[in-house]
Amino acid sequence: MTYKTDLPVMLPVTPREAEPFLRLSLWHAIPIAAVCIVGPSLAFAADGIAILSPLAVLANWAPLLLKGFVFNLVISISAMGLGTAAGAMLGLGQISPNRAMRGSSWFVTQFFRNAPWLVLLFFAMFLLPFEISILGLKIPFPDWFKAILGLSLPVMANVSEIVRGAVNSLPSGQWEAAESLAYTRRQTLWLIILPQCVKRMLPPWMNLYAILTMATVLASIVGVSEVMTLTGRALSAEGGRPELLAPFYGFVLLLFFAYCYPIARFTVRLEKKFSVIT
Amino acid sequence: MIVDTIKSVAAVVLMAGIGATTASADILDTIKERGKLIVGVKADYKPYGFLDTSGAIIGIEPDLATDVADKLGVEVEFVPVVSSNRMQFLEQGKIDLMIATMTDKPDRRKVVQIIDPNYYSSGTNVLSLKSLGLKEWDDLRGKPVCGIQGAFYNKATSQEYGAEIVAFKGTAEAYSALKAGNCAAFVYDDSAIVAKTNDPEWADYEMPLPTIDDAPWGLAVPLGEDGFGTLMSEMITDWHKSGRILELETKWGVANTPFAKAMNEKFK
Repeated sequence: MTYKTDLPVMLPVTPREAEPFLRLSLWHAIPIAAVCIVGPSLAFAADGIAILSPLAVLANWAPLLLKGFVFNLVISISAMGLGTAAGAMLGLGQISPNRAMRGSSWFVTQFFRNAPWLVLLFFAMFLLPFEISILGLKIPFPDWFKAILGLSLPVMANVSEIVRGAVNSLPSGQWEAAESLAYTRRQTLWLIILPQCVKRMLPPWMNLYAILTMATVLASIVGVSEVMTLTGRALSAEGGRPELLAPFYGFVLLLFFAYCYPIARFTVRLEKKFSVIT
Repeated sequence: MIVDTIKSVAAVVLMAGIGATTASADILDTIKERGKLIVGVKADYKPYGFLDTSGAIIGIEPDLATDVADKLGVEVEFVPVVSSNRMQFLEQGKIDLMIATMTDKPDRRKVVQIIDPNYYSSGTNVLSLKSLGLKEWDDLRGKPVCGIQGAFYNKATSQEYGAEIVAFKGTAEAYSALKAGNCAAFVYDDSAIVAKTNDPEWADYEMPLPTIDDAPWGLAVPLGEDGFGTLMSEMITDWHKSGRILELETKWGVANTPFAKAMNEKFK
């Protein structure tokens, strides 16, 4: 709401654009990545060996590594979807008026939120069978699916906390006002509280997604053929040439940066847009 | 309504019946029914099993597996395995056959059915700087030695010879650490080390020690699959007799190993 006024003190505040760290912006990533990848290659290229230069080798493998990276994204999106669905329910359980429900939801949330992601991943990997037999019908349970389940557990717990925190952050006046208008608890929650929470939950939820995406490389430790696994295999297929390590892992870094950095920027924008002006 | 119920009950009974028969059937029948042989191979062990740029697994062991599939008249599918999960996959039935650079050990024979005769063999040695002047394995005592995670000789090297093993995930990382001087030597398969010492880039390095633990490699099928075991035994004999192993070594750029030559002589 704006007022027609000449008094500067009455004008709406235009917050100053936040300065990114060291004034880096997205396009700066390109020269940085170039230094990361080309730098070490140049050092070795000076030796004048008649084999393919590291960059040419990387170019050969890039399509396969990109395919692996897409697989990482599939894992991250699926784990996020599953984790969000389960976490939303768990979060609502945490604010339930029923004491037992509240207690058990709190316990599950705290348990999975305070467990290392890799350990949860190992549990999912080695406790689940590779196929389940239902009435003789064999449903395969591939490794990547187990990885999705394993990663969705910590996501679930974190989403649960995000939901609980967002609901609790709303002024209690909202609840009281709704009650005075004879809304039931369910109506208050769905029509008044949760719509206001979505805005507050979106930025931390996106942060969580970016963190999850970067955590998908953990799946390489349990044998899923994602980008890190493929990088390792590509390196050994090239005979373990040490000068290839930096360009290859640099390329993987760049892929994740290119995907996660825009998410971070977008989150900052949303945070600004939704920030509660008091 | 009633007809539907009867139908679904019949379907359930039928499915249960199918389930029971596949569970007890011979693995060869399962493979033929499926039209596909699923083989566990390495995907990070050049030249025995590694990736090409399209992501397909190629190498000596995939070629051997393809021979088996051709013999059975089915398609072949490769499942990449690592040292720590290869026997588990076979036990679980995730793969039908495992040809994954596995050293034949008595305790492994209790878990999976390793087929005689052995198809390959290799020993353990180290790659180190010539200037270091290593003479015997005891020279490694107290020194950091690079190794690969999950290799059985790491334990022997550290326990018998007192080396401090620094285990890496892949060969690239280990070679890099050796070049950077993080470890005095790299303990690995002798065949791979011989190839490395011929590389001009590694001219300053040598394979100074006598090869130890020269141990045969075994390919394996699940325990109790005697029909498939017999077939595989015949296949291996055939590979040795026809010189197929020697031929594959040449194809993939490995110098013919004494073991492969001896087996070829023996079965000829």
